[in-house]
Amino acid sequence: MITVSSLLDEHWYERYKKISKLNIRSSIYDITDRCNLRCKGCFFFSSGEHEVASEETDINTWHRFVEKEMDRGVNLAILIGGEPTLCMDRIEAFYKRLPTFCATNGLIKLDRNRFPDLMVGLSLWGDEEDERTLRGKDTFTISSSNYEGDPHTYYLYTITPKQLGKTEKIIQKIRDVGVKAHVQLLSNDEGVDGFSWQPEELIDIRAEMDDLLDKYPDTLVSCKYYHEIITTGKMLGRTFGWMECPSVTEPIDKRDPRPKRLTNFIRWASDLKTMHRCCTSETRDCSTCKDGAAHMSWVMVNKRAHIKTTKDLQNWIEVYEMFAKLYQFIPW
Amino acid sequence: MENDITKTTLRIAEIIINELKLEDVTPETFEPDLDLVDEVGIDSMDLATIALVIRDEYGIRIDEDDYPKLTTVRIIARYITDKLSSKE
Repeated sequence: MITVSSLLDEHWYERYKKISKLNIRSSIYDITDRCNLRCKGCFFFSSGEHEVASEETDINTWHRFVEKEMDRGVNLAILIGGEPTLCMDRIEAFYKRLPTFCATNGLIKLDRNRFPDLMVGLSLWGDEEDERTLRGKDTFTISSSNYEGDPHTYYLYTITPKQLGKTEKIIQKIRDVGVKAHVQLLSNDEGVDGFSWQPEELIDIRAEMDDLLDKYPDTLVSCKYYHEIITTGKMLGRTFGWMECPSVTEPIDKRDPRPKRLTNFIRWASDLKTMHRCCTSETRDCSTCKDGAAHMSWVMVNKRAHIKTTKDLQNWIEVYEMFAKLYQFIPW
Repeated sequence: MENDITKTTLRIAEIIINELKLEDVTPETFEPDLDLVDEVGIDSMDLATIALVIRDEYGIRIDEDDYPKLTTVRIIARYITDKLSSKE
């Protein structure tokens, strides 16, 4: 029988043991249906998810809801929206009780006296030109001044095909404001012209991301196996898609056979009653989904499939470490 | 009592081998003190699956809060025998 220690040297085995018992159980929460931007390609608005539920406005209900989520075993709250920072009291309901991550466009600054170590992910969709095209404004100028040097913040840089050959400039920009960066690829749910990935572009962007990681290891929180997975949609010969995705809301997951999946995962709408299908939108074609967290989770839940060769297991460890860093389960 | 534990240990090893489709190991050669997370690489979902089989076979419900304690085949076997004897 192949054991973990038979595949790893002491250094890698120690790394494995630091993450092997973390048992992260995340769920995702739409904090609000409102946003102070309207980005082309944002799945929340393009799929009409902002209209499926009426926001719960009673803050006491939010507090009680979070308590129930903890009883359900959730130990990581991922707050999205809409724009969560429009509702600081709802963010606080989670933050006071649970390890919490807040995805934001960074236009509104979170008060670090109120949320000293809340992990913040700042969305960024490219350079100034792409940001204006897709989001109506260049958010970086504002978000970087709000979060410069913040150790609990990283940029979630969603790379578009238009960014090929230009990503280094963005990573340098992020490095220069003293925060970390993580990358994923635009899924282009709204089919904005020129923003859908072509096969040869995916090959090129994978090489570019690998190069960035070599050049900026202190800024970019990533790994090459993750780059491979998100650009090819393949893992150990399997293809990402509906029947493989781990990030489907558990109570409404009727897939048969059920794949390896996130335990107890639910994506809640802002009424705290409605459940969305998955971590992105119901209208998304899973075969072209590029969601970074879904692909990371895909690797993470398939640990045993990676206990075959030393390289496979090291790849798994690197992806798990990346996730654990991005959500503050282990230090940068 | 010790006989019961030995028998249960072998059966738990068999369940794990079958559920996880482990290769090159039999219930007899499965090291009962091998750490299931650190060495075999099982995760909480694997444990949940194993817990279901145990529930069906032994009529014992394993509380999810107990999962972190169930680190080896021998510990699981003792957990089951303890639960069974407390039911008697």
